[in-house]
Amino acid sequence: MPVDDDIFEKLRVELRRGSLVLAVLGALREERYGYTLRQSLEDAGLLIDEGALYPLLRRLESQGLLISEWREEAKRTKRFYRLSVDGTDTLAALLHEWNAISDSILRLTEKDK
Amino acid sequence: MDLIDRYLAAIARRLPADKADDIVAEIRDDLLTRQEAREDALGRPLDKSEVSALIKDVGHPLVVASRYRPQQYLIGPDAFPFFVATLRIVAMVLVLAFAVTAASSVVFGHADIAHALGRAMSNLFSSAMLAFGTVAVIFYALERTGFPADHLAKWRPQDLPEVKDKQPNVWGSAFEVAIGVYFILWWCGLVPFPTYYGNVKGLVLLPDPVWAAVWWPVLALMVARLVYNLIQWLRPRWKAVLAVLSVATAAGGLGLAYVIYQAGHWLTASGTLPADQLADIDHGVNIGIHWAIVAVGAITVFQCLQELWRLATSRPGMITVKAI
Repeated sequence: MPVDDDIFEKLRVELRRGSLVLAVLGALREERYGYTLRQSLEDAGLLIDEGALYPLLRRLESQGLLISEWREEAKRTKRFYRLSVDGTDTLAALLHEWNAISDSILRLTEKDK
Repeated sequence: MDLIDRYLAAIARRLPADKADDIVAEIRDDLLTRQEAREDALGRPLDKSEVSALIKDVGHPLVVASRYRPQQYLIGPDAFPFFVATLRIVAMVLVLAFAVTAASSVVFGHADIAHALGRAMSNLFSSAMLAFGTVAVIFYALERTGFPADHLAKWRPQDLPEVKDKQPNVWGSAFEVAIGVYFILWWCGLVPFPTYYGNVKGLVLLPDPVWAAVWWPVLALMVARLVYNLIQWLRPRWKAVLAVLSVATAAGGLGLAYVIYQAGHWLTASGTLPADQLADIDHGVNIGIHWAIVAVGAITVFQCLQELWRLATSRPGMITVKAI
């Protein structure tokens, strides 16, 4: 029986949601403000819900993984984000996890390739 | 610009005051940056509908503002199973309490079936709404104190009922709990008690002073018995607690029955009926109560002995594993 499109979409969103934090942390190894961060995510093939990015950045900042500052650029003040020291360590740990999961999934699905 | 200002104001109204300016400034910058990028690509200013579409991409003000709150749900996924289980228990007790009330109204002739059912359904609905709301508020508060993380960390498989343990009859237990709740409410004067004599014109049965003297002990006994029934229903594995409560309530019940029995007279018939008729009713009612107290006392002694025997012969906590 073919899987319903809605079911697939829900599973896809669930799968991507978990990896989004990793992508944001990874992209913020370089300092960026919201618009350029989203651009870099989109360029890498990761679309993010318009209204979800800034709350996510605030949450990561309140968890001590990001630091931010308001600065003027292109005649407007913008809030720039970058990884904190803790964020850098956490990103390394998460990437390790990510690679381990990826390896496991590959091993499990190898015969389907 | 007007649309964007209105949109940002709608978000700001729903944000915590100390963070609103900062958050709105960031969203404003994002919207304006995206507007400029689009205008650069098109080589012309955006019209109102295009700005509107840009805003809609960000989301409804209520949704956008809510994403900045630390709590995104009323009752989280960990607490939800406990919430549903509690609601089920509350629903069962309510359904049975109102069923008992409706049935007794019909049996004692206070109402016909249709009226009794109609009133029960109407009262059940309002009580259910109130009870469910109360449970939701309690769980909302519990979740903010860390529930059920502590419970999930502390629970032990050893505390689960053994397979051979007699599983409580869910509806039977709910019935006992419902009766207990109803009795306590009646004892506190919160609900009427359906009585047959109410249909006899000119007759009033007045409780004797002994009832006022034992009001608190009876209430305490009924609450303890309600707790016992709840534990038997929901935590049948707590055998030691059940045994202690059972013996304590049986002993308390026996003591109370003795005190009440000593009074010798429990209800006084009065009213506008002829004196000899009132005297007959008074005598008949008190004879009935006399034997009822004797019967309750005998049953209580039996239960007490049975529980003591169980306590003496069982070893709580021991798990027998059969070799296969």
